[in-house]
Amino acid sequence: MMNFLKQVGDYVKEAGQAAKFIGQGLSVTFDHMKRRPVTVQYPYEKLIPSERFRGRIHFEFDKCIACEVCVRVCPINLPVVDWEFNSATKKKKLKHYSIDFGVCIFCGNCVEYCPTNCLSMTEEYELSTYDRHELNYDNVALGRLPYKVTDDPMVTPLRELAYLPKGVLDPHDLPAGAQRAGLRPEQIVAATPAKTDSTKESNAS
Amino acid sequence: MNSGIDLQGTFIESLMDLGLPLGAAKAIWMPLPMLLMIIGATVGVLVTVWLERKISAAAQQRIGPEFIGPLGVLAPVADGLKLIFKEDVIPAKSDPWLFTLGPVIVVIPVFLSYLIVPFGQNLIVSNVGMGVFLWIALSSVTPIGLLMSGYASNNKYSLLGGLRAAAQSISYEIPLALAVLAIAMMSNSLSTVDIVDQQSGYGILGWNIWRQPIGFLIFWIAALAECERLPFDLPEAEEELVAGYQTEYSGMKFALFYLGSYINLVLSALLVAILYLGGWEFPIPLDAIAGWLNVSPTNPVFQVVTASLGITMTLLKAYFLVFTAILLRWTVPRVRIDQLLDLGWKFLLPISLVNLLLTAALKISFPAFFGG
Repeated sequence: MMNFLKQVGDYVKEAGQAAKFIGQGLSVTFDHMKRRPVTVQYPYEKLIPSERFRGRIHFEFDKCIACEVCVRVCPINLPVVDWEFNSATKKKKLKHYSIDFGVCIFCGNCVEYCPTNCLSMTEEYELSTYDRHELNYDNVALGRLPYKVTDDPMVTPLRELAYLPKGVLDPHDLPAGAQRAGLRPEQIVAATPAKTDSTKESNAS
Repeated sequence: MNSGIDLQGTFIESLMDLGLPLGAAKAIWMPLPMLLMIIGATVGVLVTVWLERKISAAAQQRIGPEFIGPLGVLAPVADGLKLIFKEDVIPAKSDPWLFTLGPVIVVIPVFLSYLIVPFGQNLIVSNVGMGVFLWIALSSVTPIGLLMSGYASNNKYSLLGGLRAAAQSISYEIPLALAVLAIAMMSNSLSTVDIVDQQSGYGILGWNIWRQPIGFLIFWIAALAECERLPFDLPEAEEELVAGYQTEYSGMKFALFYLGSYINLVLSALLVAILYLGGWEFPIPLDAIAGWLNVSPTNPVFQVVTASLGITMTLLKAYFLVFTAILLRWTVPRVRIDQLLDLGWKFLLPISLVNLLLTAALKISFPAFFGG
Protein backbone atom coordinates (compact mmCIF):
# COMPACT_ATOMS: atom_id res chain seq x y z
CA MET A 1 0.00 0.00 0.00
CA MET A 2 2.75 2.45 0.98
CA ASN A 3 4.64 1.45 -2.13
CA PHE A 4 1.67 2.31 -4.28
CA LEU A 5 1.20 5.66 -2.57
CA LYS A 6 4.89 6.42 -3.07
CA GLN A 7 4.53 5.65 -6.77
CA VAL A 8 1.55 7.97 -7.02
CA GLY A 9 3.46 10.68 -5.16
CA ASP A 10 6.47 10.35 -7.45
CA TYR A 11 4.22 10.49 -10.48
CA VAL A 12 2.53 13.67 -9.28
CA LYS A 13 5.91 15.19 -8.49
CA GLU A 14 7.19 14.39 -11.97
CA ALA A 15 4.09 15.87 -13.57
CA GLY A 16 4.57 19.01 -11.47
CA GLN A 17 8.20 19.27 -12.53
CA ALA A 18 7.25 18.83 -16.20
CA ALA A 19 4.74 21.66 -15.86
CA LYS A 20 7.40 23.81 -14.15
CA PHE A 21 9.89 23.22 -16.97
CA ILE A 22 7.31 23.99 -19.65
CA GLY A 23 6.52 27.20 -17.77
CA GLN A 24 10.22 28.13 -17.70
CA GLY A 25 10.46 27.46 -21.44
CA LEU A 26 7.41 29.61 -22.09
CA SER A 27 8.92 32.47 -20.12
CA VAL A 28 12.06 32.23 -22.27
CA THR A 29 10.11 32.40 -25.53
CA PHE A 30 7.96 35.19 -24.12
CA ASP A 31 11.05 37.14 -23.16
CA HIS A 32 12.42 36.81 -26.69
CA MET A 33 9.35 38.52 -28.12
CA LYS A 34 10.36 41.83 -26.54
CA ARG A 35 13.82 41.82 -28.10
CA ARG A 36 14.87 43.66 -31.22
CA PRO A 37 15.02 41.48 -34.36
CA VAL A 38 18.52 40.20 -35.06
CA THR A 39 17.88 39.78 -38.76
CA VAL A 40 19.53 42.04 -41.34
CA GLN A 41 16.83 43.72 -43.46
CA TYR A 42 18.76 42.92 -46.60
CA PRO A 43 18.14 45.40 -49.39
CA TYR A 44 18.04 48.27 -46.88
CA GLU A 45 20.68 47.01 -44.48
CA LYS A 46 23.79 45.08 -45.43
CA LEU A 47 26.58 43.53 -43.44
CA ILE A 48 30.05 44.89 -44.08
CA PRO A 49 32.02 41.91 -45.44
CA SER A 50 35.10 40.99 -43.45
CA GLU A 51 38.53 41.84 -44.84
CA ARG A 52 39.12 38.18 -45.68
CA PHE A 53 35.83 37.86 -47.57
CA ARG A 54 36.22 35.79 -50.73
CA GLY A 55 33.89 37.39 -53.22
CA ARG A 56 34.00 37.97 -56.97
CA ILE A 57 37.59 38.01 -58.28
CA HIS A 58 39.15 41.22 -59.56
CA PHE A 59 41.66 41.05 -62.42
CA GLU A 60 44.17 43.62 -63.62
CA PHE A 61 44.82 43.09 -67.30
CA ASP A 62 48.07 45.03 -67.54
CA LYS A 63 49.79 43.15 -64.74
CA CYS A 64 49.11 39.69 -66.17
CA ILE A 65 52.04 37.86 -67.74
CA ALA A 66 49.88 35.00 -69.10
CA CYS A 67 51.84 32.43 -67.07
CA GLU A 68 48.69 30.30 -66.59
CA VAL A 69 49.55 29.50 -62.96
CA CYS A 70 45.96 30.41 -62.07
CA VAL A 71 44.73 27.75 -64.49
CA ARG A 72 47.03 25.11 -63.01
CA VAL A 73 46.15 25.77 -59.36
CA CYS A 74 42.43 26.00 -60.08
CA PRO A 75 40.61 22.81 -58.98
CA ILE A 76 38.77 22.74 -62.31
CA ASN A 77 41.16 24.72 -64.55
CA LEU A 78 38.55 27.43 -64.83
CA PRO A 79 40.31 30.68 -65.92
CA VAL A 80 40.53 31.04 -69.68
CA VAL A 81 43.84 32.69 -70.66
CA ASP A 82 44.00 33.63 -74.33
CA TRP A 83 47.51 34.75 -75.31
CA GLU A 84 49.76 34.63 -78.34
CA PHE A 85 53.54 34.64 -78.56
CA ASN A 86 54.95 37.92 -79.73
CA SER A 87 58.11 36.91 -81.59
CA ALA A 88 59.40 40.52 -81.75
CA THR A 89 59.58 40.99 -77.94
CA LYS A 90 59.85 37.23 -77.28
CA LYS A 91 57.09 37.58 -74.69
CA LYS A 92 53.53 36.26 -74.34
CA LYS A 93 50.93 38.86 -75.21
CA LEU A 94 47.63 38.45 -73.33
CA LYS A 95 44.58 38.87 -75.54
CA HIS A 96 41.64 37.85 -73.39
CA TYR A 97 41.10 36.56 -69.88
CA SER A 98 37.83 35.28 -68.40
CA ILE A 99 36.48 33.43 -65.36
CA ASP A 100 33.00 31.88 -65.24
CA PHE A 101 31.58 32.65 -61.78
CA GLY A 102 28.75 30.23 -62.37
CA VAL A 103 31.36 27.46 -61.99
CA CYS A 104 33.95 29.11 -59.71
CA ILE A 105 33.93 27.92 -56.09
CA PHE A 106 35.73 31.01 -54.77
CA CYS A 107 38.51 28.93 -53.21
CA GLY A 108 41.02 31.70 -53.86
CA ASN A 109 43.83 29.46 -55.10
CA CYS A 110 44.39 31.58 -58.21
CA VAL A 111 44.65 34.73 -56.06
CA GLU A 112 47.08 32.94 -53.73
CA TYR A 113 49.43 31.77 -56.45
CA CYS A 114 49.34 34.63 -58.98
CA PRO A 115 53.01 35.69 -59.28
CA THR A 116 52.23 39.29 -60.25
CA ASN A 117 49.28 39.82 -57.89
CA CYS A 118 47.02 40.70 -60.79
CA LEU A 119 44.19 38.65 -59.25
CA SER A 120 42.51 39.72 -56.02
CA MET A 121 39.36 39.02 -54.08
CA THR A 122 36.65 41.69 -53.80
CA GLU A 123 33.78 41.88 -51.33
CA GLU A 124 31.12 41.62 -54.04
CA TYR A 125 28.66 38.79 -53.49
CA GLU A 126 25.53 39.90 -55.32
CA LEU A 127 26.08 37.92 -58.49
CA SER A 128 22.53 36.90 -59.36
CA THR A 129 21.52 37.02 -63.02
CA TYR A 130 18.63 35.77 -65.13
CA ASP A 131 20.98 33.91 -67.45
CA ARG A 132 23.89 31.81 -66.17
CA HIS A 133 26.03 32.80 -69.16
CA GLU A 134 26.06 36.35 -67.87
CA LEU A 135 28.24 35.05 -65.02
CA ASN A 136 31.06 34.37 -67.46
CA TYR A 137 33.08 37.54 -66.77
CA ASP A 138 35.61 38.70 -69.37
CA ASN A 139 38.65 40.84 -68.55
CA VAL A 140 36.63 44.07 -68.73
CA ALA A 141 33.99 42.83 -66.29
CA LEU A 142 36.68 41.36 -64.06
CA GLY A 143 38.42 44.71 -63.97
CA ARG A 144 35.45 46.53 -62.42
CA LEU A 145 35.54 47.31 -58.72
CA PRO A 146 32.42 46.67 -56.62
CA TYR A 147 30.52 49.47 -54.93
CA LYS A 148 31.33 49.60 -51.24
CA VAL A 149 28.45 48.99 -48.82
CA THR A 150 29.63 51.85 -46.62
CA ASP A 151 29.49 54.30 -49.54
CA ASP A 152 25.96 53.42 -50.65
CA PRO A 153 23.48 56.09 -49.46
CA MET A 154 20.55 53.65 -49.89
CA VAL A 155 22.04 51.09 -47.52
CA THR A 156 22.59 51.08 -43.78
CA PRO A 157 25.88 49.25 -43.31
CA LEU A 158 25.95 46.90 -40.33
CA ARG A 159 29.04 45.43 -38.72
CA GLU A 160 29.38 41.70 -38.33
CA LEU A 161 29.36 40.20 -34.86
CA ALA A 162 33.16 39.92 -34.61
CA TYR A 163 33.55 43.62 -35.40
CA LEU A 164 31.28 44.87 -32.62
CA PRO A 165 32.63 46.35 -29.37
CA LYS A 166 33.04 43.97 -26.45
CA GLY A 167 29.73 42.76 -25.02
CA VAL A 168 27.62 44.37 -27.77
CA LEU A 169 25.39 42.04 -29.78
CA ASP A 170 23.28 44.53 -31.71
CA PRO A 171 24.92 46.27 -34.69
CA HIS A 172 22.23 48.99 -34.78
CA ASP A 173 22.79 52.46 -33.30
CA LEU A 174 26.42 52.03 -32.32
CA PRO A 175 28.05 55.15 -30.84
CA ALA A 176 30.33 56.91 -33.31
CA GLY A 177 33.90 55.64 -33.18
CA ALA A 178 33.01 52.45 -31.34
CA GLN A 179 35.87 50.01 -31.80
CA ARG A 180 35.81 46.25 -32.06
CA ALA A 181 37.01 44.15 -29.18
CA GLY A 182 40.76 43.55 -29.05
CA LEU A 183 43.52 45.34 -30.90
CA ARG A 184 43.54 46.34 -34.54
CA PRO A 185 46.26 44.79 -36.73
CA GLU A 186 48.29 48.00 -36.93
CA GLN A 187 48.14 48.36 -33.14
CA ILE A 188 49.50 44.82 -32.75
CA VAL A 189 52.33 45.67 -35.16
CA ALA A 190 53.11 48.88 -33.25
CA ALA A 191 53.05 47.07 -29.91
CA THR A 192 55.47 44.29 -30.83
CA PRO A 193 59.19 45.27 -30.62
CA ALA A 194 60.87 45.54 -34.01
CA LYS A 195 62.56 42.25 -34.82
CA THR A 196 65.92 41.97 -36.52
CA ASP A 197 65.57 39.70 -39.53
CA SER A 198 68.26 37.34 -38.31
CA THR A 199 66.58 34.16 -39.57
CA LYS A 200 66.25 35.45 -43.09
CA GLU A 201 69.85 36.63 -43.19
CA SER A 202 71.15 33.32 -41.94
CA ASN A 203 69.13 31.51 -44.60
CA ALA A 204 70.49 33.78 -47.30
CA SER A 205 74.11 33.38 -46.31
CA MET B 1 -30.15 38.12 -16.25
CA ASN B 2 -31.76 40.10 -19.04
CA SER B 3 -32.22 38.56 -22.45
CA GLY B 4 -30.21 41.26 -24.24
CA ILE B 5 -30.56 41.90 -27.92
CA ASP B 6 -32.72 39.46 -29.87
CA LEU B 7 -31.78 40.13 -33.48
CA GLN B 8 -33.69 37.17 -34.83
CA GLY B 9 -36.95 38.17 -33.12
CA THR B 10 -36.72 41.80 -34.22
CA PHE B 11 -35.80 40.87 -37.80
CA ILE B 12 -38.66 38.40 -38.18
CA GLU B 13 -41.13 40.79 -36.57
CA SER B 14 -40.15 43.63 -38.90
CA LEU B 15 -40.52 41.34 -41.93
CA MET B 16 -43.94 40.23 -40.71
CA ASP B 17 -44.92 43.88 -40.36
CA LEU B 18 -44.15 44.20 -44.08
CA GLY B 19 -46.81 41.55 -44.72
CA LEU B 20 -44.70 38.40 -45.07
CA PRO B 21 -45.94 35.15 -43.53
CA LEU B 22 -43.99 33.79 -40.52
CA GLY B 23 -42.47 30.89 -42.46
CA ALA B 24 -41.11 33.14 -45.21
CA ALA B 25 -39.70 35.60 -42.69
CA LYS B 26 -37.89 32.77 -40.89
CA ALA B 27 -36.58 31.39 -44.20
CA ILE B 28 -35.16 34.81 -45.09
CA TRP B 29 -33.50 35.07 -41.67
CA MET B 30 -31.98 31.59 -41.70
CA PRO B 31 -29.10 32.00 -44.23
CA LEU B 32 -27.95 35.30 -42.70
CA PRO B 33 -26.29 34.01 -39.50
CA MET B 34 -24.86 31.03 -41.39
CA LEU B 35 -23.23 33.31 -43.97
CA LEU B 36 -22.02 35.59 -41.20
CA MET B 37 -20.54 32.60 -39.37
CA ILE B 38 -18.68 31.34 -42.44
CA ILE B 39 -17.31 34.80 -43.17
CA GLY B 40 -16.44 35.24 -39.50
CA ALA B 41 -14.66 31.90 -39.33
CA THR B 42 -12.67 32.65 -42.49
CA VAL B 43 -11.66 36.10 -41.28
CA GLY B 44 -10.75 34.52 -37.95
CA VAL B 45 -8.46 32.12 -39.80
CA LEU B 46 -6.80 34.97 -41.71
CA VAL B 47 -6.20 36.81 -38.44
CA THR B 48 -4.83 33.64 -36.83
CA VAL B 49 -2.46 32.93 -39.72
CA TRP B 50 -1.20 36.50 -39.54
CA LEU B 51 -0.77 36.23 -35.76
CA GLU B 52 1.01 32.92 -36.15
CA ARG B 53 3.49 34.46 -38.56
CA LYS B 54 4.03 37.63 -36.56
CA ILE B 55 4.28 35.95 -33.14
CA SER B 56 6.52 33.19 -34.50
CA ALA B 57 8.75 35.88 -35.97
CA ALA B 58 8.84 37.78 -32.69
CA ALA B 59 9.67 34.64 -30.71
CA GLN B 60 12.57 34.00 -33.08
CA GLN B 61 13.67 37.66 -33.12
CA ARG B 62 12.63 38.20 -36.72
CA ILE B 63 10.20 40.76 -38.13
CA GLY B 64 7.93 38.51 -40.18
CA PRO B 65 5.68 39.69 -43.02
CA GLU B 66 6.12 43.42 -43.28
CA PHE B 67 5.40 44.77 -46.74
CA ILE B 68 2.26 42.84 -47.78
CA GLY B 69 -0.21 45.42 -46.55
CA PRO B 70 0.34 47.41 -43.35
CA LEU B 71 2.37 45.20 -40.96
CA GLY B 72 1.89 42.34 -43.40
CA VAL B 73 -1.80 41.83 -42.64
CA LEU B 74 -2.44 40.81 -46.24
CA ALA B 75 0.10 37.96 -46.12
CA PRO B 76 -2.54 35.28 -45.36
CA VAL B 77 -4.73 36.69 -48.16
CA ALA B 78 -1.78 36.39 -50.54
CA ASP B 79 -1.26 32.80 -49.31
CA GLY B 80 -4.88 32.00 -50.02
CA LEU B 81 -4.81 33.58 -53.48
CA LYS B 82 -1.70 31.61 -54.34
CA LEU B 83 -3.34 28.36 -53.27
CA ILE B 84 -6.51 29.12 -55.25
CA PHE B 85 -4.61 29.68 -58.49
CA LYS B 86 -2.25 26.76 -58.00
CA GLU B 87 -2.60 23.65 -60.16
CA ASP B 88 -4.72 21.00 -58.49
CA VAL B 89 -2.76 17.78 -58.90
CA ILE B 90 -4.40 14.40 -58.37
CA PRO B 91 -1.73 11.67 -58.32
CA ALA B 92 -2.18 9.08 -61.09
CA LYS B 93 -2.21 6.04 -58.79
CA SER B 94 -4.50 7.60 -56.19
CA ASP B 95 -8.20 7.06 -55.71
CA PRO B 96 -9.58 10.32 -57.15
CA TRP B 97 -12.94 10.13 -55.32
CA LEU B 98 -11.59 9.51 -51.83
CA PHE B 99 -8.73 11.91 -52.54
CA THR B 100 -11.20 14.72 -53.25
CA LEU B 101 -13.64 13.75 -50.50
CA GLY B 102 -10.97 13.64 -47.77
CA PRO B 103 -10.34 17.39 -47.31
CA VAL B 104 -14.07 18.12 -47.63
CA ILE B 105 -14.87 15.74 -44.78
CA VAL B 106 -12.14 17.36 -42.71
CA VAL B 107 -13.41 20.90 -43.20
CA ILE B 108 -17.20 20.63 -43.08
CA PRO B 109 -17.56 19.38 -39.46
CA VAL B 110 -15.29 22.17 -38.26
CA PHE B 111 -17.41 24.81 -39.97
CA LEU B 112 -20.59 23.15 -38.66
CA SER B 113 -19.25 23.29 -35.11
CA TYR B 114 -19.39 27.09 -35.28
CA LEU B 115 -23.19 26.72 -35.01
CA ILE B 116 -22.91 26.28 -31.26
CA VAL B 117 -20.45 29.09 -30.48
CA PRO B 118 -22.28 31.88 -28.63
CA PHE B 119 -21.06 35.48 -28.65
CA GLY B 120 -23.90 36.71 -26.46
CA GLN B 121 -27.20 35.66 -24.95
CA ASN B 122 -28.85 35.53 -28.38
CA LEU B 123 -25.80 35.94 -30.61
CA ILE B 124 -25.61 32.29 -31.56
CA VAL B 125 -26.54 30.57 -34.82
CA SER B 126 -28.54 27.83 -33.15
CA ASN B 127 -28.91 27.25 -29.44
CA VAL B 128 -28.91 23.45 -29.61
CA GLY B 129 -29.85 21.82 -26.32
CA MET B 130 -26.85 19.49 -26.49
CA GLY B 131 -24.43 21.97 -28.05
CA VAL B 132 -21.12 20.72 -26.64
CA PHE B 133 -22.08 17.14 -27.36
CA LEU B 134 -22.75 18.12 -30.97
CA TRP B 135 -19.25 19.60 -31.14
CA ILE B 136 -17.64 16.44 -29.75
CA ALA B 137 -19.66 14.31 -32.19
CA LEU B 138 -18.68 16.50 -35.16
CA SER B 139 -15.03 16.62 -34.20
CA SER B 140 -14.84 12.83 -34.29
CA VAL B 141 -15.83 12.91 -37.98
CA THR B 142 -12.59 14.71 -38.83
CA PRO B 143 -10.20 11.73 -38.36
CA ILE B 144 -12.23 9.78 -40.93
CA GLY B 145 -11.44 12.46 -43.49
CA LEU B 146 -7.77 12.49 -42.49
CA LEU B 147 -7.50 8.71 -42.72
CA MET B 148 -9.38 8.78 -46.04
CA SER B 149 -7.03 11.32 -47.58
CA GLY B 150 -3.97 9.53 -46.22
CA TYR B 151 -5.14 6.22 -47.62
CA ALA B 152 -6.31 7.59 -50.99
CA SER B 153 -3.00 9.34 -51.64
CA ASN B 154 -1.36 5.94 -52.21
CA ASN B 155 1.79 7.14 -50.50
CA LYS B 156 3.59 5.62 -47.51
CA TYR B 157 4.07 8.92 -45.73
CA SER B 158 0.48 9.97 -46.28
CA LEU B 159 -0.86 6.65 -45.02
CA LEU B 160 1.37 6.81 -41.95
CA GLY B 161 0.29 10.39 -41.29
CA GLY B 162 -3.37 9.51 -41.73
CA LEU B 163 -3.09 6.55 -39.36
CA ARG B 164 -1.30 8.66 -36.78
CA ALA B 165 -3.91 11.41 -37.09
CA ALA B 166 -6.70 8.89 -36.55
CA ALA B 167 -4.95 7.30 -33.57
CA GLN B 168 -4.26 10.70 -32.04
CA SER B 169 -7.76 12.08 -32.52
CA ILE B 170 -9.39 8.96 -31.11
CA SER B 171 -7.19 8.81 -28.03
CA TYR B 172 -7.52 12.49 -27.18
CA GLU B 173 -11.26 12.57 -27.77
CA ILE B 174 -11.84 10.65 -24.54
CA PRO B 175 -10.12 12.99 -22.05
CA LEU B 176 -11.67 15.89 -23.95
CA ALA B 177 -15.15 14.43 -23.59
CA LEU B 178 -14.56 13.63 -19.91
CA ALA B 179 -13.42 17.20 -19.22
CA VAL B 180 -16.54 18.50 -20.95
CA LEU B 181 -18.63 16.03 -18.96
CA ALA B 182 -17.42 17.51 -15.68
CA ILE B 183 -18.48 20.96 -16.93
CA ALA B 184 -21.82 19.65 -18.09
CA MET B 185 -22.37 18.04 -14.69
CA MET B 186 -21.76 21.35 -12.96
CA SER B 187 -23.95 23.33 -15.35
CA ASN B 188 -26.73 20.73 -15.53
CA SER B 189 -26.81 21.38 -19.28
CA LEU B 190 -24.92 20.70 -22.48
CA SER B 191 -26.04 23.92 -24.11
CA THR B 192 -23.21 26.42 -24.49
CA VAL B 193 -25.48 29.34 -23.59
CA ASP B 194 -26.52 27.65 -20.34
CA ILE B 195 -22.90 26.86 -19.51
CA VAL B 196 -21.94 30.52 -19.86
CA ASP B 197 -25.03 31.65 -17.93
CA GLN B 198 -24.05 29.36 -15.08
CA GLN B 199 -20.67 31.13 -14.86
CA SER B 200 -22.16 34.63 -14.88
CA GLY B 201 -23.04 36.86 -11.97
CA TYR B 202 -19.74 37.01 -10.07
CA GLY B 203 -17.47 38.34 -12.81
CA ILE B 204 -14.05 36.76 -13.07
CA LEU B 205 -14.54 34.85 -9.81
CA GLY B 206 -17.47 32.89 -11.20
CA TRP B 207 -15.61 31.45 -14.18
CA ASN B 208 -15.27 27.71 -14.41
CA ILE B 209 -11.47 27.84 -14.49
CA TRP B 210 -11.44 28.28 -10.68
CA ARG B 211 -13.73 25.32 -10.17
CA GLN B 212 -12.17 23.15 -12.87
CA PRO B 213 -8.44 23.98 -13.05
CA ILE B 214 -7.47 20.38 -13.86
CA GLY B 215 -10.27 20.10 -16.37
CA PHE B 216 -9.10 23.32 -18.03
CA LEU B 217 -5.57 21.98 -18.49
CA ILE B 218 -6.79 18.60 -19.74
CA PHE B 219 -9.19 20.26 -22.15
CA TRP B 220 -6.54 22.60 -23.52
CA ILE B 221 -3.94 19.82 -23.96
CA ALA B 222 -6.50 17.55 -25.63
CA ALA B 223 -7.73 20.42 -27.81
CA LEU B 224 -4.18 21.12 -28.98
CA ALA B 225 -3.82 17.44 -29.82
CA GLU B 226 -7.14 17.51 -31.69
CA CYS B 227 -5.96 20.49 -33.75
CA GLU B 228 -2.58 18.84 -34.37
CA ARG B 229 -0.78 21.86 -32.98
CA LEU B 230 2.92 21.70 -32.39
CA PRO B 231 3.67 19.58 -29.37
CA PHE B 232 1.35 17.04 -30.96
CA ASP B 233 1.74 17.76 -34.67
CA LEU B 234 3.40 14.45 -35.52
CA PRO B 235 0.75 13.34 -38.05
CA GLU B 236 1.86 16.24 -40.23
CA ALA B 237 5.49 16.43 -39.15
CA GLU B 238 7.33 18.07 -42.02
CA GLU B 239 10.72 16.64 -41.16
CA GLU B 240 9.68 13.06 -40.53
CA LEU B 241 6.58 12.40 -42.61
CA VAL B 242 6.88 15.09 -45.30
CA ALA B 243 3.71 16.74 -43.94
CA GLY B 244 1.93 13.39 -43.45
CA TYR B 245 -1.48 13.09 -45.05
CA GLN B 246 -1.00 16.42 -46.83
CA THR B 247 2.01 15.23 -48.85
CA GLU B 248 0.19 14.70 -52.14
CA TYR B 249 -2.17 17.65 -51.85
CA SER B 250 -1.76 20.98 -53.59
CA GLY B 251 -3.86 23.95 -54.57
CA MET B 252 -7.33 24.31 -53.15
CA LYS B 253 -7.42 20.85 -51.57
CA PHE B 254 -4.34 21.66 -49.54
CA ALA B 255 -5.92 25.02 -48.73
CA LEU B 256 -8.90 23.17 -47.26
CA PHE B 257 -6.63 21.24 -44.89
CA TYR B 258 -4.80 24.43 -43.98
CA LEU B 259 -8.06 26.30 -43.42
CA GLY B 260 -9.50 23.36 -41.48
CA SER B 261 -6.61 23.14 -39.06
CA TYR B 262 -6.66 26.87 -38.30
CA ILE B 263 -10.45 27.05 -37.97
CA ASN B 264 -10.19 24.12 -35.62
CA LEU B 265 -7.62 25.98 -33.54
CA VAL B 266 -9.82 29.08 -33.31
CA LEU B 267 -12.84 26.90 -32.54
CA SER B 268 -11.03 25.09 -29.74
CA ALA B 269 -9.86 28.41 -28.31
CA LEU B 270 -13.43 29.76 -28.48
CA LEU B 271 -14.75 26.66 -26.73
CA VAL B 272 -12.16 26.90 -23.98
CA ALA B 273 -13.21 30.53 -23.56
CA ILE B 274 -16.85 29.49 -23.36
CA LEU B 275 -16.46 26.45 -21.13
CA TYR B 276 -13.81 27.74 -18.74
CA LEU B 277 -13.31 31.49 -19.12
CA GLY B 278 -16.88 32.68 -18.91
CA GLY B 279 -17.65 33.13 -22.60
CA TRP B 280 -18.92 36.63 -23.30
CA GLU B 281 -18.80 37.68 -19.62
CA PHE B 282 -16.80 40.75 -18.67
CA PRO B 283 -14.36 40.23 -15.72
CA ILE B 284 -16.59 42.57 -13.66
CA PRO B 285 -20.32 41.74 -13.86
CA LEU B 286 -21.89 44.27 -16.20
CA ASP B 287 -25.21 44.33 -14.37
CA ALA B 288 -23.37 45.54 -11.26
CA ILE B 289 -21.71 48.31 -13.30
CA ALA B 290 -25.13 49.28 -14.65
CA GLY B 291 -26.40 49.41 -11.07
CA TRP B 292 -23.56 51.75 -10.00
CA LEU B 293 -24.16 54.02 -12.99
CA ASN B 294 -27.92 53.93 -12.46
CA VAL B 295 -28.51 52.62 -16.00
CA SER B 296 -31.46 50.33 -16.51
CA PRO B 297 -30.44 46.90 -17.93
CA THR B 298 -33.17 47.30 -20.55
CA ASN B 299 -31.70 50.58 -21.84
CA PRO B 300 -31.07 50.08 -25.62
CA VAL B 301 -27.67 51.83 -25.56
CA PHE B 302 -26.59 49.68 -22.62
CA GLN B 303 -27.74 46.56 -24.49
CA VAL B 304 -25.78 47.46 -27.62
CA VAL B 305 -22.70 48.16 -25.48
CA THR B 306 -23.17 44.84 -23.66
CA ALA B 307 -23.53 42.90 -26.89
CA SER B 308 -20.44 44.45 -28.53
CA LEU B 309 -18.47 44.03 -25.31
CA GLY B 310 -19.58 40.39 -25.22
CA ILE B 311 -18.30 39.73 -28.74
CA THR B 312 -15.05 41.54 -27.94
CA MET B 313 -14.56 39.60 -24.70
CA THR B 314 -15.18 36.23 -26.38
CA LEU B 315 -12.73 37.03 -29.16
CA LEU B 316 -10.16 38.45 -26.73
CA LYS B 317 -10.24 35.32 -24.59
CA ALA B 318 -10.09 33.06 -27.63
CA TYR B 319 -7.20 34.95 -29.19
CA PHE B 320 -5.32 34.97 -25.90
CA LEU B 321 -5.53 31.17 -26.01
CA VAL B 322 -4.44 31.17 -29.67
CA PHE B 323 -1.47 33.26 -28.57
CA THR B 324 -0.51 30.72 -25.91
CA ALA B 325 -0.83 27.95 -28.50
CA ILE B 326 1.56 29.78 -30.84
CA LEU B 327 3.98 30.48 -27.99
CA LEU B 328 3.81 26.80 -26.99
CA ARG B 329 4.67 25.91 -30.57
CA TRP B 330 8.08 27.57 -30.23
CA THR B 331 8.66 26.33 -26.70
CA VAL B 332 7.81 22.65 -26.61
CA PRO B 333 9.48 20.05 -28.83
CA ARG B 334 7.41 17.57 -30.82
CA VAL B 335 6.57 14.34 -28.96
CA ARG B 336 7.03 10.87 -30.40
CA ILE B 337 3.99 8.77 -31.28
CA ASP B 338 4.52 6.45 -28.28
CA GLN B 339 4.93 9.41 -25.91
CA LEU B 340 1.80 10.92 -27.38
CA LEU B 341 -0.29 7.82 -26.79
CA ASP B 342 1.29 7.39 -23.33
CA LEU B 343 0.30 10.93 -22.42
CA GLY B 344 -3.21 10.41 -23.74
CA TRP B 345 -4.03 7.02 -22.26
CA LYS B 346 -1.82 6.81 -19.16
CA PHE B 347 -1.89 10.41 -17.97
CA LEU B 348 -4.82 12.43 -19.28
CA LEU B 349 -7.41 9.66 -19.18
CA PRO B 350 -6.95 8.66 -15.48
CA ILE B 351 -6.60 12.29 -14.42
CA SER B 352 -9.73 13.31 -16.25
CA LEU B 353 -11.60 10.40 -14.67
CA VAL B 354 -10.39 11.49 -11.22
CA ASN B 355 -11.40 15.04 -12.09
CA LEU B 356 -14.88 13.87 -13.04
CA LEU B 357 -15.22 11.88 -9.81
CA LEU B 358 -13.95 14.81 -7.76
CA THR B 359 -16.42 17.14 -9.45
CA ALA B 360 -19.27 14.75 -8.71
CA ALA B 361 -18.20 14.48 -5.07
CA LEU B 362 -17.85 18.25 -4.70
CA LYS B 363 -21.19 18.79 -6.38
CA ILE B 364 -22.86 16.59 -3.77
CA SER B 365 -20.94 18.14 -0.85
CA PHE B 366 -21.10 21.83 -1.87
CA PRO B 367 -24.08 22.20 -4.18
CA ALA B 368 -23.96 25.99 -3.78
CA PHE B 369 -20.53 26.34 -5.38
CA PHE B 370 -20.59 23.47 -7.85
CA GLY B 371 -24.03 23.92 -9.37
CA GLY B 372 -26.44 21.76 -7.34
